[in-house]
Amino acid sequence: MRSSLRNPYIYTLFVVPTLGLYALFFIYPMLTSVGYGFTDWNGLQDTNFIGFANFERAFADSSFWNAVRNNMIFILFSVCVQVPLIVFFAILISQVRRFQGFYKTTVFVPSILSTAVIGILWGFMYDPEVGIINQFLGLLGVETIYWLADTRWALLAVLMTNAWQWMGFYIVLVLAAILSLPKEINEAASIDGASGFQQAWHITVPLIKPIISVIVMLSIAGAMRVVDIVLVMTNGGPIGATDVMASYMVNRAIRYGDYGYGTALSIMIFAIALLLTALYQLTFGKMRERVEF
Amino acid sequence: MKKQYGLLLLVLLVSLTTVLAGCGGSNAGQGSGANAGTNEAGGTEANADGQAGGEAVENAEPFTVSLRHIQIGDAKKFRKAILDDAIAKAEAEVPGLAFELDGVEDEVNRFTKLPAEMAAGNPPKIFDLFGGEGDALKYADAGRLLDLTPILEELGLADKFLNMGQFTLDGKVYGLPIGGSTEGFFYNKKLFAEYGIEVPTSLEELEQAAETLKANGVTPIAMGSQAAWVPLMLANTLIGRYAGPEAINGFRDGSAAWDSPEVVAAFAKYQEWVDNGYFTKGELGVTYDAMLNEFLAGKAGMMFDGSWRASAFTNPDLVKEITSEDVGYFAMPAVPGGKGDQTAVNGNYSNGYGFSSNLNERELAAVKAFIKHLYNDEMQVRGLLEDALLPSMKLSDPAASEIDTKLEDPVVKQIMETMNAAGEAFSHFDSVVQSDVYSETEQQIQRLIAGRATPQEVGDVLQQAQEAANAK
Repeated sequence: MRSSLRNPYIYTLFVVPTLGLYALFFIYPMLTSVGYGFTDWNGLQDTNFIGFANFERAFADSSFWNAVRNNMIFILFSVCVQVPLIVFFAILISQVRRFQGFYKTTVFVPSILSTAVIGILWGFMYDPEVGIINQFLGLLGVETIYWLADTRWALLAVLMTNAWQWMGFYIVLVLAAILSLPKEINEAASIDGASGFQQAWHITVPLIKPIISVIVMLSIAGAMRVVDIVLVMTNGGPIGATDVMASYMVNRAIRYGDYGYGTALSIMIFAIALLLTALYQLTFGKMRERVEF
Repeated sequence: MKKQYGLLLLVLLVSLTTVLAGCGGSNAGQGSGANAGTNEAGGTEANADGQAGGEAVENAEPFTVSLRHIQIGDAKKFRKAILDDAIAKAEAEVPGLAFELDGVEDEVNRFTKLPAEMAAGNPPKIFDLFGGEGDALKYADAGRLLDLTPILEELGLADKFLNMGQFTLDGKVYGLPIGGSTEGFFYNKKLFAEYGIEVPTSLEELEQAAETLKANGVTPIAMGSQAAWVPLMLANTLIGRYAGPEAINGFRDGSAAWDSPEVVAAFAKYQEWVDNGYFTKGELGVTYDAMLNEFLAGKAGMMFDGSWRASAFTNPDLVKEITSEDVGYFAMPAVPGGKGDQTAVNGNYSNGYGFSSNLNERELAAVKAFIKHLYNDEMQVRGLLEDALLPSMKLSDPAASEIDTKLEDPVVKQIMETMNAAGEAFSHFDSVVQSDVYSETEQQIQRLIAGRATPQEVGDVLQQAQEAANAK
């Protein structure tokens, strides 16, 4: 066996079927889709090659850039609001002595629900008349807010729902990192008279930096490809206020039968994702050095 | 080393047997199920037709025909029952036939699922289809739809339909409208009586009624604009009033312009009503179903909707505060300075069934049986009596008199009277203009509602889109 695995022909024999499948299901569709991006295919009739017209149209398409902007807001919200909250809650739970398992399970539950369920559930909570959120705000004297119907509030409403769904998952990740830290460090710190906040800020957070960096990366990736929650809750509306790149592309391609343009958009999305990945590697990615303790 | 080979062999063996067992199992299951199916079909057929039928069935292989419909949910249960009956009759007639029903929500089917299937070339054999440029005619042009002309000749239905315009391309018919519809205001008689409002006969009275309702804390007009086609119904009718019924067809051939003062006046009126608070608050987040609920719960005085909605008022699962006795109906009143016939109403024969062009002989027989049993006097009469769906076919005298004697639903009666009183009928522009233009109208009406565009801007953008689409 060992000698046969050193034989390059045997190697090839094992690798070829996989490569074939990979080419058939990944490489070929990708190349065809790149090809369609340069046509005016409407999904039904013959295609005409139209050069870069689709891309020119995309660069001039304010609705698309509006969707890109919303994606960026998703990313900023994830990194600047969600991640600090995740770390905060994880440290909080790690300090709990009793029922820690209960808290862990509770925060994790939203991530196992399907997005469709969550979208509909929160749709009810945001209901302007009977929704619990407006009922509560009403007690504080706030006037009725049309969460999903108002262009000022719709995106925030979706962002909060999305955060609620995924934070638990990340909290459990960070919690695992915190709990694996040696107890002695914090004990020594408390003997030296460091307060809980000082311990968290000067000891715990620096020690879990690598996992925070991973979470930032996952959040950015998640925010880039977010689409399901948008489609369920608002379908991009009202008038594009919650449209993200993927939902705009799906609606363009399928709903309006503009497959050529839709594929061109998907190539643009790919390019933007590539750009962001490069940016991430140059900034946060460098933070991922190993912490020794 | 040997051990590892053995393990590999074992794994291979296990997976192979699993696969084989899977195949065998499903084969056996299919076989027995199919046999049972044939026997059953044979039984009913023999009972119905005697021995000849029974013999034919014995050598008939069972087969299934996929059928996509949109009759899901409580509000559509009457229409589903009619469809089920037609299907049962067709199944009894064609040996071995079993329809495989696939119920999908209307908008999902029309705008997401069917277009994707059409693009991939694998639509269901029979499916719910809308007529017009964006749907039936586009698919027909691409060769995806079955040419029904010979079938209609064979079944003697060729000249039975009232209006096949939206399904006809180059003289060939590619779809069959299941019913007709018109759109107008439903109103809550209880609320009108409570606040002393008369049924409006002029635009001024309509606006006065809305003011009175608003002053009493009632939503004047229930409106769910989350899906843009809902407010577009009202916008469509306003265009028909201000720019005349001819304008609707005129956009496509260039004889009418979206940025003309008349069409802009229609949008301006719509915006004025939005600004005056005549519609449901937060309408951009309200669904079409929620709009009906608001009206049924007596929280709104009026609702602009299609005649098909009348069946909801007799549906015991839906009615809350009001029943069909409490609902009245009137058409959009004449507008001052409006062009053309001010009694014209919206009249549509645009929703029905289409059939895949990719059918084998037996599936074609199934399609014929389906058409025969769904498109006839009996089903048309039932459609009107049970489901408030206006007939799409010319009825025979006995059928027409059956309607006269049996029609009790006061709302449907009023709708019929309104239609009869109308001078002419205009279509929905969504069945006339190209998809590109229609998608722009969806964007623009929501922008108008949100206060992000002025009526003139809406008209200008739409006219640009129309010119671009016409030039293609």
